Amino acid sequence: MRSPATSGPYSQAVAEGLSCERVRVGQVLRDVALTVAPGEVVALTAPSGAGKSTLLRAVVRLVGMDGGVVTLDGVDVATLDPRALRRRVGFVAQRPVMLPGTVADNLAYGLDEPPDMAAALDAAGLDDDFAARDASKLSGGEQARVAIARALTRKPEVLLLDEPTSGLDAPLAEAIGRHVRELAASGLAICLTSHDRAVVTGWADGEVRLAATIRGERDDGTRRDGEAR
Amino acid sequence: MSDVLVQGLAGIALAVVAVGLAWRLGLGLSKELAVAAARAVVQLTAVGAVIVVIFEVPALAFAFVAVMLTTAAFTAGRRIGGIPNARRWAFAAIAVPALTATGFLLAVGAFDFTPRAAVPTAGILIGGAMAATSLTGRRLLEELDSAHAEIEARLCLGDSARDALRPTIRRAIHTGLTPAIDQTRSVGLVTLPGAFVGLLLGGATPAEAASTQLVVLLSLLAVELAAAALLSEFVQRAVIAPGERIHHGSSPWRSK
Repeated sequence: MRSPATSGPYSQAVAEGLSCERVRVGQVLRDVALTVAPGEVVALTAPSGAGKSTLLRAVVRLVGMDGGVVTLDGVDVATLDPRALRRRVGFVAQRPVMLPGTVADNLAYGLDEPPDMAAALDAAGLDDDFAARDASKLSGGEQARVAIARALTRKPEVLLLDEPTSGLDAPLAEAIGRHVRELAASGLAICLTSHDRAVVTGWADGEVRLAATIRGERDDGTRRDGEAR
Repeated sequence: MSDVLVQGLAGIALAVVAVGLAWRLGLGLSKELAVAAARAVVQLTAVGAVIVVIFEVPALAFAFVAVMLTTAAFTAGRRIGGIPNARRWAFAAIAVPALTATGFLLAVGAFDFTPRAAVPTAGILIGGAMAATSLTGRRLLEELDSAHAEIEARLCLGDSARDALRPTIRRAIHTGLTPAIDQTRSVGLVTLPGAFVGLLLGGATPAEAASTQLVVLLSLLAVELAAAALLSEFVQRAVIAPGERIHHGSSPWRSK
């Protein structure tokens, strides 16, 4: 694990990170456990349909849980205001949706104060001239970066990325990977799902496997908190 | 031959033309057109007979309006069948604005407080509310599926569930109101609406017919907007789950 860093321009370091204990969601997730510490990138891997996305969605309470507890900095997220939780825990879906308007409109969406656009774009690895571009006309890779930047403008403590390289070619995926590592270095706790071994081995500090009756283990061989049925 | 018989036969002749044309063009609509036309003949004949009785026994007007409301709720409810208690919500969305507006028009003296005035007025407003409810509800169901990712993106950025749904609701209400707005905008230029034509044919002066039609058209704007807004509110309450989230799945509010 990396040592927790100080807050970056678009992130806030958390003291204890994110923890999931015995999370159950219908028939999809059974007693899943996972922890992500500040400054750490954890990859969640599993066959399709094993509930990786569902777990991320349960963390930000987009789906209800049937059991277990998710804590953020030691506080049960079920006790937090959902709106505040989703600002503290940024979730970027597998197919990011660009809201109507420009990239700047997307980055500033829902914020009381407009963000520092240059810093937000820079944090996403995008040039300043992207701000005025129609977000719906961007390429898939550009949209993925804007979606990450948009989550970052809320200054989250944890970032959840669902298949961040889905549909992207290798150079773009590598660029996003570097970006993710930089974000983790700034103190963010990052959890991502991926089918891509290159992503898991190249980006992540640890891996949690969700597979039928297989306990999640870190790729360095030490048992991790992952457990699923 | 009486006027009524000539009118009926002329209408049926044109309906036969429509059925024949649909058959000739291979549209697969012949049967539907024939059934719709046959139902109209039977229903209007029956209504004509019933209204004669209502004019003689005014208390029956309330029962007749209740039947119209129930039928409208069933029709609209069928169009929005994915919503739990669709018919109950459709009934409320149609009845509240249509009856309120009818009551208002009668109370201020815009129309006489008689079955002859009240029943057609209520009927037109109920019909408008039914159309707006069906269109809005249908569009809303489609949008909740097609725009689900967008709604969740808004939630993830810190929106409340109501804020996240607002663009979807707006689009649905726009769809539901478009026919009423177009009809009002184009009246007299593109179309001569039913009440206007009916009054003219019934012997009213053009000024009287225009005045009555105007009241009806403007009332319809309010009634249809209120019906669409009410239905949207009911659907919102059904799809918003505790914890500022939206039920989703093939039937959005049924599954987690």
